[in-house]
Amino acid sequence: MRFHRVRVESRERLGSYRVLRYPWEGDVEPGQFVLIRAASQRTSFDPFLARPFSVYDLRGGVMSVLLEVRGRGTRLIASSEEIEVSAPHGRGYRPDVPAGRVALIAREGKVAPLRLLYRRLQERGVDHDIFLQLAAAQVPILRDFPGARVVDDFGDLSGYAAVYASGPGAVPPGIPCQVAVEEMMACGEGSCYGCAVPLAGGGYARACVEGPVFEARELAWI
Amino acid sequence: MDLNVELCGLRLHTPLVPAAGTHGKEAVQASEGVYGAVLPKTVTPQPRTGNPPPRLAETPAGMINSIGLQNPGVERFMEELDAFDTGVPLFVSVAGETAGDYSLLCGRLAADDRVRAIELNLSCPNVERGGLYFCAVPASVEEVVAAAVEAAGGKPVLAKLASEGAVEGAQAAERAGAAAVTLINTLPALAVDARRREVRLRGGLSGPAIKPVALRAVYEAFRAVGIPILGCGGVATGTDVAEFMLAGATAVQIGSAGFVRDPREILREFSGYLRETGLDARDLIGAAH
Repeated sequence: MRFHRVRVESRERLGSYRVLRYPWEGDVEPGQFVLIRAASQRTSFDPFLARPFSVYDLRGGVMSVLLEVRGRGTRLIASSEEIEVSAPHGRGYRPDVPAGRVALIAREGKVAPLRLLYRRLQERGVDHDIFLQLAAAQVPILRDFPGARVVDDFGDLSGYAAVYASGPGAVPPGIPCQVAVEEMMACGEGSCYGCAVPLAGGGYARACVEGPVFEARELAWI
Repeated sequence: MDLNVELCGLRLHTPLVPAAGTHGKEAVQASEGVYGAVLPKTVTPQPRTGNPPPRLAETPAGMINSIGLQNPGVERFMEELDAFDTGVPLFVSVAGETAGDYSLLCGRLAADDRVRAIELNLSCPNVERGGLYFCAVPASVEEVVAAAVEAAGGKPVLAKLASEGAVEGAQAAERAGAAAVTLINTLPALAVDARRREVRLRGGLSGPAIKPVALRAVYEAFRAVGIPILGCGGVATGTDVAEFMLAGATAVQIGSAGFVRDPREILREFSGYLRETGLDARDLIGAAH
């Protein structure tokens, strides 16, 4: 995997989230991910692996990712002036938007892939509602999702033309639904088969190349 | 400064080879020019869905994997083989549950001109038979390698062996007609989740953490067998490549380090080492003995 060393331009805390921004030339699809590690990991090999993050936003040559500190790897990334990043990878949300109002839903605070998606839908004039399951410490993220509603459960989504979900969980039958999954990854480029996601028809897909965004009906645990 | 090495009658334009299961077709184009041979993920006679997740755990300077040889089976694999054609020799890694499986796979692959050598995965820690890793003892190594060599009809057969009993395994492989041995496969390892008080993952350890173990196996096998050795295990820098060659490796496999580094950088570092020392790659082989 090829990594690029970049300087973190800014870091901002929004409750338990941190937004990390760094310069990036090139385009990205909503739902794609990048691998990130602290620059020091390059020579220490400890922690060994980079961490995958959904692209949060890309604007004017500045990429941002949303980070919550979970362990040593994320703590190192959160505090590093210099980080190493991969290019965006994977299949994002498909832009084949059906006519009608769509719902964007994030389970258990997994809001990151919805930010760029929501902005792109807005640019295209697609009517949408955003529902976020957030812990109390995550509520400040609402600043980046104007008009979004914080919910415990998503209620009846059957009136929507499509659902764009982040995080696993049941979706109403009969509505087109794309869902972004989070998996632990090693290579991030299809080689290691570590980020296996169970498929409805049996077997596994790789979150890094066949995903991280899947048609919900393809997956076994939706 | 000459990077070329000769392995089993094949000229490799660099001594670097990807380790099986770490270099998918998506990665092949991105590393063109780096590797002296291409080596896709292990293939089995029938498709295998692989192990249920989780399949990965991170460890200090390494990782544990338990993929379980997920692959589409040899027939589908052969249909997609052209994706691995980058103009360098193509090695194919195979695994089975019986000597007959290996024989069948070798026969199938030997009949295809695109395949230049076959690596027998005799030591995958994530697929077991009767509680023992398949080919955990020299007698079964010898049996399987002999069957594979016979079926391969003159194509070089490489035996990839576990760290435990590496010397005896290498000797058994040599007796049975292997053209080379690959040392070592991942080490059997365990990750425990203290918070949940349960086993998180039982699998194979790779990465820089296992490099000294792999180096020792290569070093000792070099003294015990006459066939070439492909060093494998924790190679992550150009200096690591040199160390494995000095210990006795003719070529060196890059495994999980390819996930965290651009293999081009590893080759650049190794070339830098050769320039500094004024040596050619082949001069290094076994020079530490």
